[in-house]
Amino acid sequence: MAGPLEQFEVNTIVPLEVAGYDISITNSAVYMAITLLTIMFFMVGGMRKTALVPGRWQSSVEMCYEFIAKMLGDTAGPDGRKYFPFVFTLFMFILAANLIGMVPWVHAFTVTSHIAVTFAMAFFIFIGVTIIGFIKHGIGFLKFFVPGDAPVALLPLLVVIEVVSYLSRPISLSVRLFANMVAGHTMLKVFGGFVVSLAAAGGVLAVGSIVPFAFIVALTGLELLVACLQAYVFAVLTCIYLNDALHMH
Amino acid sequence: MPQLDPAVFIPQIFWLFVVFAALYIFIARSAAPKISEVLKRRQDTITDDLANAEKLQAKAEEARIAFEKSQEDARNNAAAIVLSKREELKAEADAEYQKLSDALSKKADEAQKRINEAKEKALGEVRNVAADVCADIVSQISGLKLDAKAVSKAVNAKTDDVLKGDG
Repeated sequence: MAGPLEQFEVNTIVPLEVAGYDISITNSAVYMAITLLTIMFFMVGGMRKTALVPGRWQSSVEMCYEFIAKMLGDTAGPDGRKYFPFVFTLFMFILAANLIGMVPWVHAFTVTSHIAVTFAMAFFIFIGVTIIGFIKHGIGFLKFFVPGDAPVALLPLLVVIEVVSYLSRPISLSVRLFANMVAGHTMLKVFGGFVVSLAAAGGVLAVGSIVPFAFIVALTGLELLVACLQAYVFAVLTCIYLNDALHMH
Repeated sequence: MPQLDPAVFIPQIFWLFVVFAALYIFIARSAAPKISEVLKRRQDTITDDLANAEKLQAKAEEARIAFEKSQEDARNNAAAIVLSKREELKAEADAEYQKLSDALSKKADEAQKRINEAKEKALGEVRNVAADVCADIVSQISGLKLDAKAVSKAVNAKTDDVLKGDG
């Protein structure tokens, strides 16, 4: 039987190498493409006839849009408007990847359960936000690391703390999503393993397999919530970082 | 943990970049503008409809006020007509009454005059007759020739006294 971590394995489907770099098409790449197509289908389908009074599908697309637009407006203000497409893309991508990873039976691969993916996104955001900060405020952006109303004696220490906390942003952002996805999927697999071994044992134990099964049902609900919540958290933190860069607190 | 194998980093990051870029272009160029246009159109429609409704309401209010005003006018008009008609009829009736009462009082006056004349005449006759009778009686009895004028004067005085006593 497959171990609980086997679901995270990346398997090469079409080996590819360009300039010494391995860019093979893997199951991860396939699921990213599925994520992309799902989002496109969702949006094109929802907007195929743009009705004044929207149907369910159109309403869902509009709700996603307005949810992110409102969140961005609330956190980053009107200056953040031009980064809306990026935040919207980010949210939709993570949300779709998380939810597609929850599809049972098909050995669904969760793209966001890989630190390489989450860290790449977080690092991109980190670099991008830092560049925006420097473009907007020039060298004055460094004042961001100096707390305004702190005693002078404490400043050196506080600046170090601020810098470390700033540098650790991409790590906390990526690990949060990664760890949540890994933990949830591992737990589901572990309980799934219990169900199988108990059922295989036969007799009274087979009847007892209903208990871990019930756990799986409950956990699946919880994981669906986590999938949406983590996409939201990732997007909202991105907005907060963006706001820091635009307005320096 | 398969995630920590460095061999899987590069292909994942590469394809993530490709897919994310494709999705970004799709959303930024096609999906987001379309959605925002729909939302804007809806907002505009709602705003327009609300403005229209307000305008129509104002118009209805205006019409109501105009209607009430015309109703009020009509009522006042009717009252004025009734009043003036009543005045007119009253004046007519008064005039008629006056004419009738004038005619009647004239007739009454005439009748009174005729009565007075008749009475006067009758009284004159009576005096003449009384004076004649008186003169005849006196001449018969005493054989005196009396002056007719003095007799008539004395009789008249006596008659006046009698009439005064009566009256």
